[in-house]
Amino acid sequence: MAPVKEWAGLLARLVVGGVWIAAGALKLTDPNASVQAVKAYELLPTSLVETVGYLLPALELVVGLALVLGVMTRGAAAISALLFLAFIVGIASVWARGMEIDCGCFGGGGAEPDASSSYPWEIARDAGLLILSAFLVWQGSTRWSLDSVLFRRRTPPEPDSPLDATEDMEEV
Amino acid sequence: MSTKNAKNAKDAKDAKSAKAAERAERAAALLREQKRRERRRNLITGGVVAAVLAALVVVGILISKSNEIEAPAAGSSDFGVTIGDPDAPHQLVIYEDFLCPGCGQLEAQSNEQLAALAADGAVHVEYRPFNLLSRLGDYSGRAASAFGVVLEKSGPEVAKEFHDLLFEDQPEEGEEPYPDADWLVEKAVEAGADEGAVRPGIEQGVTDFADRATAEAQQAGVSGTPTVILDGEVFNGTVDELLDELE
Repeated sequence: MAPVKEWAGLLARLVVGGVWIAAGALKLTDPNASVQAVKAYELLPTSLVETVGYLLPALELVVGLALVLGVMTRGAAAISALLFLAFIVGIASVWARGMEIDCGCFGGGGAEPDASSSYPWEIARDAGLLILSAFLVWQGSTRWSLDSVLFRRRTPPEPDSPLDATEDMEEV
Repeated sequence: MSTKNAKNAKDAKDAKSAKAAERAERAAALLREQKRRERRRNLITGGVVAAVLAALVVVGILISKSNEIEAPAAGSSDFGVTIGDPDAPHQLVIYEDFLCPGCGQLEAQSNEQLAALAADGAVHVEYRPFNLLSRLGDYSGRAASAFGVVLEKSGPEVAKEFHDLLFEDQPEEGEEPYPDADWLVEKAVEAGADEGAVRPGIEQGVTDFADRATAEAQQAGVSGTPTVILDGEVFNGTVDELLDELE
């Protein structure tokens, strides 16, 4: 039996990765909406808005794919955690400034009446996903990941070296 | 004799332990070599995987770019109204929805300035209303349709004025009931339309004009309002930045 933590890691990967794939794919089909959504936060200078608006959907999709497949799990989870942190800060700042915008989390975006009522839920959701991402950064090795095939350890660990995250899978 | 024997035995023992040490050393070296190769392999694999992922992000960005808006040039749509000289140095297309608060804001901040700039020959502007917010009720569709009726019956100048009046007195998004046909007719007459000419059309509600204008906007890839296209490129800056560009 693999440690419970590795199974939990698999679950976290699928949940967080699935959310990113959905969010990224929905935005990729409509880049202008994505740019508008970024613009609506009024946080970034105009010169950066467009770049971020185009980059986010692609980055989200690739981070999602990497997590679901378990490729570069730690790196993908670290980017995922940073993105969620940025989104939480963004939504909180919009909330604090009394603005009413669609968070543009899954496409869409821009002004929306009564959007503030969903801010608490959006922040809670992103915080939950941030925790799952942080867990993956910490745990690293998970069940059924491509990492465990790509970076399989073939030599026994040195007895005096501390175990690192890519330790052996007991059985595949 | 006995000392010689003892010495031989000691030599044999030394040789044995030396051999053992040598074996252990060889095994350790082999292990080190294996580990070195493994680290190298993992490094290469990691590099390749990272490169593939980065390439995928770039592909994604390119896909995003390919989904960009390609709108007909200012003055070339059947569903808008233009102001200014067609040969002006700047061409501006504004897609909007009569209900969208962002459009109301844009109009409040730019309408008069754009009219003045257009009159000076600095910019050629086309306003293209369409029905984006159909999910929030029928006002967007009815207002865009009424705009079509006024454009057809009373000409572009009256239609531009009607457009301005609708934004000046814009209803709150999502707050039904929305203004009715009588209100729209009133605005049209205020803009200079002949009531008898526009009332029948406006009372029809959502017309083919709005549907086709919406289809054209969607065809161009416009999915939000206001969408401002300056000289063929989507403009994402503020209204002040837009006006600065034009001055």
